[in-house]
Amino acid sequence: MNPFIEIITQPDNIAIVIMILMVSFFMVWAFQQAFQNDKLKASGYAVDGENDQDVDTYKPLVRIELLISLAVMLFLTIWSIVVDAPLEEIANPTLTPNPAKAPWYFLGLQELLVYFDPWLAGVVLPSLIVVGLIAIPYIDTNPKGNGYYTFSERKYSIIIFSFGFFILWLLLIVIGVFDRGPGWLWYWPWQEWDAHRVVFEPTRDLSNLVGVESRSLAGFIIGAIVVGVYMVGGMVWPYKYWQKKNPELLQQLGMIRYVTIVFLFITMMSIPIKMILRLVFLIKYVWITPWFNV
Amino acid sequence: MANENKNSSAYRAYFFAFFSVVLLILSAWVIWDDEFGLRPWKHYQKEYKSLKHDQLVKEYKQAQFEFQRSGGAKRLADLNAQLEKAEAGLKGKGAGEKYEQLNRQLEELQKQAAESQKQLQTVRGKYLETEYYFTRTQKPEYKKEMDALQLQIDAIDKKSKDIQVKQEPIRESIAQIAGNIPAIKAEIEQLNKILEEKKEKIANNEKAPIEIKQFLIKDVDKADRCVSCHIGIESSKQPSAKQPYSKHPLTSVYLGHHDPGKFGCTYCHRGQGRATTTVEKAHGKVKYWDEAMLKGDMTQTSCLNCHGDIKNLRGAETISKNTELVKKYGCYSCHKIPGYEGIGDVGPELTQVGTKVNYTWAVNWLLDPKKYFSTARMPKFFFTQDQAEAIADYLFSMSGSDRRDVDSANIKNDPKLVEQGKALWSQARCNLCHATGGRGGDHSKVYAPDLSKVGSKVNKTWLFNWIKDPNKYFPGTKMPRFRFTDQEINALVDYISSEYVDDESENKYVAPVQIQAASIKKGKDLVQQYGCYGCHKMRGMEMVQVAPSLKAQGVTFLRSDEMREKIGTELSSIGSKPVELLDFGKLKKSMPNDRLSYIKQKLRDPRGFRLGLRMPNFRLSETEVNELSAVLYGFTDSNAPVRFMVPSRQELDKMAGVQGYKFTGDFAKVIADVKCTNCHTIKGIGADYAPDLSLAGSKLQESWIRNFLANPDMIRPLLQQMPKLGLSMGKTPAKVTMPKFNLGTQKVEDTNRSDVDVVVNYFQQELVTSDIPTKIPVIADVAMPEQIAQGKKIYDDKGCRSCHQLGTDGGAVGPNLSNVGNRLLPGFIFKHLENPRKYKPDIVEPNYGFTERERVLLTNFLMTLKISAK
Amino acid sequence: MSDLFNKVKKNLIWKSVFRRDYRDNVRDRALAVFGNVFLHLHPVKVRESAVKLRYTWGMGGITFLAFIILTITGVVLMFYYHPSVDQAYSDMKDLEFQVPYGVITRNLHRWGAHFMVIVVMIHMFRVFMTGSYKAPRQFNWGIGVILLVLTFLLSFTGYLLPWDQLGFWAITVGTNMGAATPLLGYQGPFSEYLHITPYNDIRFALLGGATVGGNALLRSYIWHCIAIPLIATVLMVVHFWRVRKDGGISRPQNH
Repeated sequence: MNPFIEIITQPDNIAIVIMILMVSFFMVWAFQQAFQNDKLKASGYAVDGENDQDVDTYKPLVRIELLISLAVMLFLTIWSIVVDAPLEEIANPTLTPNPAKAPWYFLGLQELLVYFDPWLAGVVLPSLIVVGLIAIPYIDTNPKGNGYYTFSERKYSIIIFSFGFFILWLLLIVIGVFDRGPGWLWYWPWQEWDAHRVVFEPTRDLSNLVGVESRSLAGFIIGAIVVGVYMVGGMVWPYKYWQKKNPELLQQLGMIRYVTIVFLFITMMSIPIKMILRLVFLIKYVWITPWFNV
Repeated sequence: MANENKNSSAYRAYFFAFFSVVLLILSAWVIWDDEFGLRPWKHYQKEYKSLKHDQLVKEYKQAQFEFQRSGGAKRLADLNAQLEKAEAGLKGKGAGEKYEQLNRQLEELQKQAAESQKQLQTVRGKYLETEYYFTRTQKPEYKKEMDALQLQIDAIDKKSKDIQVKQEPIRESIAQIAGNIPAIKAEIEQLNKILEEKKEKIANNEKAPIEIKQFLIKDVDKADRCVSCHIGIESSKQPSAKQPYSKHPLTSVYLGHHDPGKFGCTYCHRGQGRATTTVEKAHGKVKYWDEAMLKGDMTQTSCLNCHGDIKNLRGAETISKNTELVKKYGCYSCHKIPGYEGIGDVGPELTQVGTKVNYTWAVNWLLDPKKYFSTARMPKFFFTQDQAEAIADYLFSMSGSDRRDVDSANIKNDPKLVEQGKALWSQARCNLCHATGGRGGDHSKVYAPDLSKVGSKVNKTWLFNWIKDPNKYFPGTKMPRFRFTDQEINALVDYISSEYVDDESENKYVAPVQIQAASIKKGKDLVQQYGCYGCHKMRGMEMVQVAPSLKAQGVTFLRSDEMREKIGTELSSIGSKPVELLDFGKLKKSMPNDRLSYIKQKLRDPRGFRLGLRMPNFRLSETEVNELSAVLYGFTDSNAPVRFMVPSRQELDKMAGVQGYKFTGDFAKVIADVKCTNCHTIKGIGADYAPDLSLAGSKLQESWIRNFLANPDMIRPLLQQMPKLGLSMGKTPAKVTMPKFNLGTQKVEDTNRSDVDVVVNYFQQELVTSDIPTKIPVIADVAMPEQIAQGKKIYDDKGCRSCHQLGTDGGAVGPNLSNVGNRLLPGFIFKHLENPRKYKPDIVEPNYGFTERERVLLTNFLMTLKISAK
Repeated sequence: MSDLFNKVKKNLIWKSVFRRDYRDNVRDRALAVFGNVFLHLHPVKVRESAVKLRYTWGMGGITFLAFIILTITGVVLMFYYHPSVDQAYSDMKDLEFQVPYGVITRNLHRWGAHFMVIVVMIHMFRVFMTGSYKAPRQFNWGIGVILLVLTFLLSFTGYLLPWDQLGFWAITVGTNMGAATPLLGYQGPFSEYLHITPYNDIRFALLGGATVGGNALLRSYIWHCIAIPLIATVLMVVHFWRVRKDGGISRPQNH
């Protein structure tokens, strides 16, 4: 069978296909409504829902709830009749499957393991994701766009969130499911998985670029400087920039909020940066310390 | 707004209706699926029921027919008429009246008896209650009450007995009047029962519930539901031979010894025992289930899981035969296989090969052993000419030769000696083990090299030394030391080297060439890489074989087999190895990806999966591939409970601390020399090619042993296994004879006794059992000649002659008995007739259940069968 | 016929259950909602946007429905399941081959779980896109994020229960990350200063052992069937309560 068909028809992967379809559909729907509202607003009309009246809960809301419930149950029943949940061989601690994959919703994190050490990819970053998500309402001080779809009024927050949600989260999951085969090697969907495939990919550390042994003191210092410049520079530069351009914004945010936003943002951006370093420049570590590697 | 709302609500109502209807249909589907779609066994059980019904009805009809035919029906009608007549006699006046009156009286008395029985129960209940209160309170009034109740009980008891006594005479009178009526009734019932039972079976079959049936082994949480579809597997009469209704083949052997309730199905057959929904799932031919079901003879593979000894195990004939292949090809030489440790090298020792074979032969042999003779066991390694020469150089250099030797075959043979050698060759029955020109040699049992071209292979000096004392060159060889004189050996050597030469062999004479050091080095590397030392003992490789873990501990030489590191993959659990761990390489797409196919392909073409594999090609026939793969498939990480295990004799002895049997004294020397155990088993040691000699001392007469050893003659006209092979009886049968070892009057070294003396002495001292009497009982009331005549009559009546020959008359399955009176001891015959299987479990001779007297008579007859010595 | 209908409706039992007739007027419509324990989760009147599918996509409700479906099928599955290494796998096999409606129940549970994870993520996306986390709903967003994490954990703990290769290795891979926790995991940075070993680190606490085994199975089972559902239920109560208390489904605030 075609490897692509084979992989997307695996019972557990059907969920991923459904996810891709549903997410794409709702993404389009959300942005379409957002642009529509923006247009309305720009022409001086009220946005969708602005002139809404109250309606009775019984029956309009109850009716639609029941209808959706029926539809969902129908959908799940059909899914359950058509596709049987697989049960693999009995657990065997001595036989590691290749690849050994985490549950699909964690595959984004497993994909990060290629670029970061486990303490970052598996612990620090997920914790920061949760903290960052909870922090969103407190750091997004823009009062506009509450209660309706809009893009123009909240450009930056939507772009950043969409990048994190669609690219760093969902896309990595899709990659982890469909493109990662034995040895966590990259397989295009039309390629056959081969547990005995050998790939030699030489990697180096950042300081090797300038000819310094990364495990030496000099390498340590270079790494520390690069990471430090990224973190501190990432904090200071926007501050200076906004101070010149838009001092009220900084005033409005306050110091604590500013630091939180920028810290979370540069942490998030460190993920694509490290991915590019790894994939394009074949750099394994930026900074090697005796305790941890970054 | 309101309008719009209404419209949409009507629209939604359609949705509601639609969704609800679809959900309802789906629910119906789910219910149907659960009731029928996923329960195919219901269909099978119904089908079986109807087949069984047909069978039972047929049986019933047959029984009915039989009942008619045998006169049962007529007898029944007669009896009914008699009964009617007798009963008519009991009606009307006179006897009839009296009969009725008596019956009424009896009925009245029985009623009274029942009444008093009821009273007794009531009073006893009261008594027990009172007793309870008395025990609790110790109040005297309770005691008083108890006494009163006891009196009542006694009174009622007495009354009951009186009634009983009164009944007796009445019963007697009734019986007198009734006459034979009860007897007739009993017989009628008996006759009716014959058909009633059959009818009942039909009714029971109807009532049998349709349900999941399973063998549940609680402690290992195994539930084998195979019987849900294979419903008739345990039946004695199958209603249909069609699957899944047929019964188990050889039920008494397989199910008889492995109660399915205790063993289940899947320990032997594999497959997925719990599955009930589809055939593929149940038979384990689905993704995520590694254990496909085993069918037919392949199932015997599973015998290896539990049985330590499968030789002579009934029902394991195929797998037992197949395991011989592991020994024949010496798989254990390169692979670790449990149970095959310490067997010894499969190939000959090569420490002195340089003085044995000629160089050209060695190189050609390395290139392709089958080219030399087609039954060669050594596999092909696909060496290039350079590589083969390098290895030969290494071997020659390690056995003291520094040059590629000149052939010494140009020495002329003496025609007179050749003539004498030819006679010796056939006298000694060399062809029994060695094939020449396609004749002789039973390779399935005793492996010895084909000698058709041996004259072109070895040099005469070596051949002389070899025949003189094989043990000296190759300790542990199977070749016996024949007691030839030097002159005889010379004759044999001349005969062999003139008769058995390879006409096509080229390069007989090569100029002496000095062996190059570089070539030796290359040869050594090759020997290491391909692990030649696994099968051959050779110099310079002692350290290579030591397991790395031991090397790390400072071990510097190989002392025993346990220290050895095998070059190949361990095969101890190849039969249960997860398929993920098998590398199909470039064949992944072109062959089925399952374990058995992998094993077969590996045997067919060991290096076919990818580059860099080292296993040589044994060029097995497809039959051999199937046989060997069946054995390998049986090497599993058995998860069967320990209680199933049947350890081998050796393992049992080891556990019990019993030392394995060891030959002692001079006899041990004779054995080491003559290798009796190549063919015979003695006390569990040896092969099963020739009769077991463990009890020879109790079985054979001394004079016969002496004669036989001096001049072995055939005992059985046919191979024991011949009838099983299904060969036609018209063909000239292959003869089973024993080689003539010249065990004569020469003395065994260092002793004053002859070989035969040693053997006979050992037989009589060691190979005896107290089970077999030295004398048989004497029948005093009949004269001896008469006894012999009676014995002969038994012999004829029981059809002994259909298997045994007397003279030239009779069948050829059993041994020829023409000379049995000279061969066997009467005690053995006597005991053997009691239970033929006792001393030879695999014997085909039936147990006739002779009485002791019959056995004495037969023994006496058989002891008269003698051929007088010429 | 209508006589019979009246008799049934005037019946003491009927009245005790349904209290009163429903007539389509304002009072009865309101009563229908707050007279019913399930419906009174809703206010009597809602904004039209709350009814519009294109605004909410119904995702929050669907998530709740999925949770209910999973609870029901999960309870059924619990009847047939022993959380022990020896029995878990054969229980799954029995579920497939022997238990009435076992296959469909397990399928519903498995696919329902995947579905819930998808839906809960889309729900978060919708809430973000409509800016519904903004004042006064900041706290409820936080609750929502925790519920999202709990949904992942529910699914994750359920993965191990069949005791097959998929679940076993998914859990092994997942919990191995715990071993890399800074300070608390034995492979994490700085853990040597706290004398952390494989036998006292955070992974050991998760698994009840240094490897995935019987204890891990039992822990998974209890987290999956009791602890997380309880916590999630409590948080869901808070979540729903806050939706109403924070002014119902969000809407444009200009008026």
